[in-house]
Amino acid sequence: MKRTGPVVFGFLIGMLMLIQYFTQVPWIDDRYNNVLDWKQVVFGITLILGVVSLFLHHWKKIERKTGGWGYSVVTIAGLLFMIAAALIFGREEGPYPWMFDHVQAPMQSTMFALLAFYVASASYRAFRVRSFHAALLLTAGVIVMLGRVPLGEMMGFHIGEHYFSLGTISTLILDYPNLAAKRGVMIGVGLGMTATAIKIILGIERTYLGKGA
Amino acid sequence: MVTQSGQGEQMGAGEQQDARQGPGQKTPRWTHEMLMNMDRRFIFVVIAIAVAAPLIFPLNLPVRSSREAEAYFNEMEKLQPGDEIIFSFDYEPDTMAELDPMSVATLRHAFRKDVRVLAQTTYAGGVGIAERILRQVAQEYDKVYGEDYVFFGYNPDYSATILRMGESIRSNYPTDHYHAPTDGIPLMKGVDCYDDIELLVTVTASALAEYWIIWAGGKYKQRIIAGNTAIQAVLIYPYYQAGQLAGFLGGLKGAAEYEKLIGVSGAGLLGMDAQSVAHLAIVCFIILGNIGFLIQKSRTKQTGGPRDSRQGG
Repeated sequence: MKRTGPVVFGFLIGMLMLIQYFTQVPWIDDRYNNVLDWKQVVFGITLILGVVSLFLHHWKKIERKTGGWGYSVVTIAGLLFMIAAALIFGREEGPYPWMFDHVQAPMQSTMFALLAFYVASASYRAFRVRSFHAALLLTAGVIVMLGRVPLGEMMGFHIGEHYFSLGTISTLILDYPNLAAKRGVMIGVGLGMTATAIKIILGIERTYLGKGA
Repeated sequence: MVTQSGQGEQMGAGEQQDARQGPGQKTPRWTHEMLMNMDRRFIFVVIAIAVAAPLIFPLNLPVRSSREAEAYFNEMEKLQPGDEIIFSFDYEPDTMAELDPMSVATLRHAFRKDVRVLAQTTYAGGVGIAERILRQVAQEYDKVYGEDYVFFGYNPDYSATILRMGESIRSNYPTDHYHAPTDGIPLMKGVDCYDDIELLVTVTASALAEYWIIWAGGKYKQRIIAGNTAIQAVLIYPYYQAGQLAGFLGGLKGAAEYEKLIGVSGAGLLGMDAQSVAHLAIVCFIILGNIGFLIQKSRTKQTGGPRDSRQGG
């Protein structure tokens, strides 16, 4: 029963969701909305769980004074401050929105902006024409990189009467080789997901029940 | 520019080469070594200048609109005064620089056409961004909260949020972000699910556009347009070509194209010169590195020595 119960439950819910997609029966629609309600409730609880485990993880680091425990103090102080600020002053005014606009937003933007520098340095070191394939990748990369900005659109060449800008070639690369590869991957992923879903509904795939299932 | 460590490593290889060639036949290897081992700090400084200089001294490079941006514009242009759109701010502050211009331009276009906006976010960090942009653009066009636009805030679990809005927006958002009952909001009269919405706009740095297309588009036949970061734009091309996505903007360039189409200059157009010069600088570095690599390769072939596997990657 310990194993059969969840498998039968999974089969019933799975079939219900499958049938719901193709029908307009009010009773099934109501059950579908129930499932969506539960999903949001469970997701909300996982957020609380995440905050509590983050707090406990850093609290233990501070207690044991393990390496980098000072950062844990900052993490917990930030967490508690934001909760207290929102509870005392509200979310719309006071320190809570101020901290978001003047601390969190600039810090996150700065971290992301640093990527530009690291991407420049990494691509300079990594893109080397070591083989035919590498040369192909490099050429496509350079064309798309330049073709997607106004400067690249101004660069191009004539073949007979036709003018090909880097922008046009970049679009061709995105439209054909990129699209073909992406579609292949998407179809493969879609078939894999369908197969896995059928296996779960039919109780063939039971790893979600834990070890020994 | 050669790093101290890089110089040390290269000395070893060079000394071996000298030993093979014999005394008096020293080759000027410093040229290609220099090209292959530029100090990363030098690269950082050049990129910083490439980004900053065009912002200070604009080049005013011409921006041509792509067919995807034109399709995005046309979808917005088709809307009539009084139509409703859902606008989802699906990003956090890390990608603000790239995506804020799209959000601002789209809302300007919507408010200019007296289109009513139902805004929300699927990211907790998107709340602050949405409030700031909505407030700013609504002020520009004298729009009233509750009548011309509404903000529902953040709801946990994007998949359930997207699906539930197809059944009932009210059940998904019983109140707006400021705790006012949704039923009492004038804008929400006669609006409760995707059937009542003309167009859905998602501006995102993640795979959220795909999820909107699969769930809201696939199941509820909702018409969708998307604004994406440049890297994400490549991934949603197949949906656009298949007609599942009515139009999209890719990266800051997409924002600039859209700003040009609506005739309102913003951060997108402002950033185009900087992005162009920065891309050119990166390409120049790659070319220089490869020139050095090819010189080294040909010299290694001539001397019959082993390839230096440490170079490149």
